[in-house]
Order: sequence, then C-alpha cells, then structure tokens
Amino acid sequence: MGEKRFMKGNEAIAEAAVRGGCRFFAGYPITPQNEIPEYLSWRLPEVGGDFVQGESEVASINMVYGAAAMGTRAMTSSSSPGISLKAEGISYLAAAMLPALIVNVSRGGPGLGSIQPAQSDYLQATKALGHGGFHTLVFAPNTVQEAVDIVYESWEYAERDRNPVFVLIDGCLGNIMEEVDLPEMKEIKPEDLPEWCLSRRNGRDWQGNITPIYTEPILEGLNMMAGEMYKQWEEEDVRVEEFMLDDAEYVVIAYGMASRVAKEAVIKLREEGHKLGLIRPITLYPFPKNSIRNLDYSRVKGIIDIEMTIPAQMRDDIELQVMGRCPVYEYGRSGGCLLDDDGVYEAIKEVITGGAE
Amino acid sequence: MKESFVFSGSGGQGIMSAGITLAHTAIDMNKHATYLPEYGPEQRGGSAKCTVVISGDKIISPLPKQCDNLIVMNEQAYAKFGEDVRKGGILLLNSSRIKEEVKRDDVTVIAAPVDDIALELGNVKAANIVLLGILIGATDIVSREVLVLSLEEKFKSKKPEILDMNIKALDRGIEIGKKYK
Repeated sequence: MGEKRFMKGNEAIAEAAVRGGCRFFAGYPITPQNEIPEYLSWRLPEVGGDFVQGESEVASINMVYGAAAMGTRAMTSSSSPGISLKAEGISYLAAAMLPALIVNVSRGGPGLGSIQPAQSDYLQATKALGHGGFHTLVFAPNTVQEAVDIVYESWEYAERDRNPVFVLIDGCLGNIMEEVDLPEMKEIKPEDLPEWCLSRRNGRDWQGNITPIYTEPILEGLNMMAGEMYKQWEEEDVRVEEFMLDDAEYVVIAYGMASRVAKEAVIKLREEGHKLGLIRPITLYPFPKNSIRNLDYSRVKGIIDIEMTIPAQMRDDIELQVMGRCPVYEYGRSGGCLLDDDGVYEAIKEVITGGAE
Repeated sequence: MKESFVFSGSGGQGIMSAGITLAHTAIDMNKHATYLPEYGPEQRGGSAKCTVVISGDKIISPLPKQCDNLIVMNEQAYAKFGEDVRKGGILLLNSSRIKEEVKRDDVTVIAAPVDDIALELGNVKAANIVLLGILIGATDIVSREVLVLSLEEKFKSKKPEILDMNIKALDRGIEIGKKYK
C-alpha cells in the first residue's frame, strides 16, 4: 500500500480522487465540503489536471459534463442544497451516459438548512438525483479510509457503466480527521481514452455524438438498457457489512457515520447480554435487500433504523424487505444535532427492553 | 482504553489547533485517534469546539455524549458544554476568563489562568499549549517528548523563539497538571 497519514475526510477524498485518475474538478463553495475544492485547487495543477471554481453549481456540473465527454476523469462535490442545484446536470450526465464522480457531503435540511452534518439526503440520493427516473451507484462509506477506497475506484465503475457514481457522506465524515492509508497513484495513459469519447487526442479521428436528448423509440431503448444495468447492479455490486447477526434477536440498521455510533452501542449491549446485530448498507443503491429479507424472522423480534435525520428516510426500503414480519423502530437526530453514543444506546435499549414505539 | 477530550471556546483561542496537536501526538505514539471539529457559520469569533478520541484499539464511534476530559476556554463555552463531562472526569477551565463558580462536585476541577500564564511567557496565543501541558501532567495521555516533536513540526517555519515559548508554555502546564494526578 501507499502511505499512512492523519487526514481530514474531505482532503483524503480529494487526494484519493487524484490518485484514482481525476484530472478535472468544477464546483462552487459550500460548507461542509469546502476542503475538497480547496485541496484540488492546488493539487490538480500539480498532476496536469484542471480545477475550476465555477460561477454556480449549475455551471460546474455542466463543465463536468463537458470534461467527461472528452474522456477525462471528472468530478464535482457539493453539499445538500448545492446537490439540488446540480440535479438537472446529473440527470443530463445519466442521459448522455457519461462517467463522473459526484460527492455530497451532506448537511441539515430542507432548504439552506444548517451547515452542520446530517443524513437528510438519503431519499434524494437513492430515488431521484434528478428528473427522468435514472439511478447511480450510491456509496455511503463510514470511515475516512473507506471513503478513500471507494473514491479511488469510482471511475472504474463509472466507466464500466458509462454512468455517474455518487458518494454520500455527512459533514461529520467530511470534517473528521482519521488515520488513512493512501493508495498509489494510478497511471492513466493517453491511449486509455474510452472509445466513445469526443477527444481527438492521440490522432483519433472518430467523432462521436454525446447528447442528453433523444427521439422515440431510441429513448425507450435506452431506458430499457438502464433498467437492465440496475438489475445487474443488484446482483453484482451490493456492498454490506453484517455484524453479529447469527443469533441476533434485534437488528440495528444504519449507514455512514450513524453506523459507527450504532455499532458502539451494539457492542456495549452485547456485553450486557442482549442479542443484537447490525446491518450496515455500504451501497445505498443498490440497497442490500437480501441481508434484511433473509433474516430469520422466527428469531428476530425487531429492526431498529438509526439515522441522523428525522423522520428516518431509509425506513421504507427496510420495511419493503421486512414485509411486516417484525416491527420496525426508528431513532434519529437531525438538523445539525449529532447522534451520540449515549443517545443511541438508550434508544436501542428502550426498544429491546420493551416500551418503545 | 478509550479516552475522549472536548476542547471548547471561541474562534481564535487555539481550540482546533490544540485538538489536532493532541490527536497527532497520539498517532505518532502509535495509538489511534479521531479529531472532529464543530463550528458555527461565523468567519471570526463564534463558538469553536472539537472532540478528540484516543484509543489503543481502532475507534468505532467518534461521537461520545459525555467526554472524559472537558477543556473550556471561556464563559459561553462553559455555559454550553459544562455538563458534557462524565462523572469522575476532568473539567479544565481557563480561569483567566471564567469567573463563575463551578457547581459540579463529581469531577476533578482544574482551574488555571492559562491566558495570564501565556501572556507572561510572551503571547496569549500559547494558552492552548498551557492547556495541553496540564492535560499531559494530569493524565499521561501522551508523552511530553512526542508532543514536543509535534510542536517542532508545527512551528518549523516560524522563528525559533516561538517554539521555545511554546515549550515553556507546555512545561508550565505540565507542572500545574501534575498536582492533580
């Protein structure tokens, strides 16, 4: 492996992107993700890449569209309200079948919300990142290391699928400093340009067509292809952490930073003799349906959904797999108030010792 | 053993810097550490808080509700976070700025005039290093020697007098902290 450092999540993501081949970034400032553009503003020129602080979120996402069309590994990042502004452009990327990385370091909402961390963008990320009924792979790492590893390989997925990849973390993970092992710099050779791209570098004379607009029946055909791709993801790309499920009578489900607080509580309650387990979706889309659907409901008495948002947003996806076989409970904090060890421990304990709704 | 620290005060008091320095030093000693800053939207001033967790094992949750050691630099922070230290923990106050009487009797209270001490040494900015010294003296969480190496790294681009002053600030803090060990 590469080198060990003590790094802030946002900066580690930026460095991992560069090492993963990113050579273009466009974005517009917003807390709590500003360290990503700040870092890339000096780092990308060092490796011959380009950094642009766009005049707006809309301009930035469209610059990413342009760079991606030329076959450049391109990305943008923002935080919740900024992602909403980019929604149109993300939909265009999906329509034009362009690979790109989009990172949301999310904060409290709705509206301009708060600058503090929250997990209030689950539904946006997994159901409708923009109009038109498309999906992207949505990764939700829970440590700086996992964020680095995912960002590092994100263009391999994006280019495989010719589709954007979305990484959703909350402001906590963006701003926390942790130890991280940085991977080696990927060598991106000029001849590695994807076949479909518009670049005329290296004497390429093929000129394709990249467009976000189609006529019928072509568009229906593309919708069908996308549908097949999403099915394929369900089979091959689901990532999940399952912890102490074998004899669990209650199962906690949480992702991202919330899952770390939840795991701490699960371990503590296990030590007190309670049979608890944890399911942590790492991909929010495709959702780890089987992990929840295939639990032994003759033993599992309840599911507890813990999220840093109120009301819980992942709950519907959970309920669709539980299918009424046991009660589903939820606990959360939101609007920039963080989950904490005691709060989550007490909430889970209340459920398993009876009394919680 | 997992040990948590919350540093609180207002922007400009070296809160974040103290937290990062402590976490860095722990990492240099081959421990695990997390550092989480929290701040308001203000560009200057405003409230500043950071949480540092240090452990011999990999850290799962970096979000304790109550910390083991609470460091408070001013009265506003004391009013806001004063209860966030666990029973039996350490409450370290900057008595240069906090005149209020401490009501809690279930924690070790260390009240030290860290602003005045730092001023006496030459610069109030070193108050946060006096605080780190007190923590080291009282808890042994990291070693003085490794922290000095972190300070050398931190101040390597500054004049050597600045490093000397900070080391003096650290040692003054350690002396105070030792009385509470």
